Amino acid sequence: MTRDDGGSAATLAIVMLPLLIAVVAGVVQLGAIRVLAARVASAADLATLAAVDDQDDAELLRSGTLRLPADAAATARRFFALNLEQIAAHLDLAPSLIAERADVASFPTAPAFDPATATVYDRPTVRLAAAVPVRTPAFGVLLLPAVTTVSVRSVSSPR
Amino acid sequence: MVVILVPLLFGVIEFGWLFQRWLAAETVAAHAARLAGELGGDDASLRRYVAAQLADVGIDPGRVRVEVEPARVAWREPIRVSVRSDERIDLPFAFGATVQLSVTAIARGEVSR
Repeated sequence: MTRDDGGSAATLAIVMLPLLIAVVAGVVQLGAIRVLAARVASAADLATLAAVDDQDDAELLRSGTLRLPADAAATARRFFALNLEQIAAHLDLAPSLIAERADVASFPTAPAFDPATATVYDRPTVRLAAAVPVRTPAFGVLLLPAVTTVSVRSVSSPR
Repeated sequence: MVVILVPLLFGVIEFGWLFQRWLAAETVAAHAARLAGELGGDDASLRRYVAAQLADVGIDPGRVRVEVEPARVAWREPIRVSVRSDERIDLPFAFGATVQLSVTAIARGEVSR
């Protein structure tokens, strides 16, 4: 840089500053979404695992086979809501509402066919699919959507 | 120019590092909650497991607070494991701050007493 173009460098820096700040804000927001998506996926996994942890005791005693209890889907919703509650401040809907709207299917016996995923399960299974709206305020400032939907699907079976 | 670019560059690096720790702590908390459900509550083996998992992902267990609630969980009831640590963010020429990372995972008690 020569002494003569020092002024133009300063001008360039000032002109580029909003762009640089926007890029950094976008990067930080993307990182935050990545973390929140992982937490949503973890919430779904913990929910379906909690649902398949329990068995129909009468059926187990009678035939020795694993069969999910009638409340397996309700259990999945309950634990999904409980885990989403931990990140409620970042969600655009109440955790209980997200859990209520989630597509939760229980397949108490196997084999079972899941029409939503076109999958045949060879064990009793609970499947949860949900769309979780996550607040992305930095995107909003950058004229991008202020709410980003994180889609999650979790499938668990007892062993 | 330097006082603008350096904080921005460090912002990307520091927040990336913070998010990496947040993700790692989240994974540890989820696994710890499952183990706590299997054990039926808080005990020394759970604490050892959490400390080993934190060390594996590069987090000093000595700086982390682990809370298990309730300490003894009933069958089919929720058990909550929280992992908390204070992390420092420093942006040269801009600011420095301590950020608390807090993650909580909830599993289901599996021990029929």
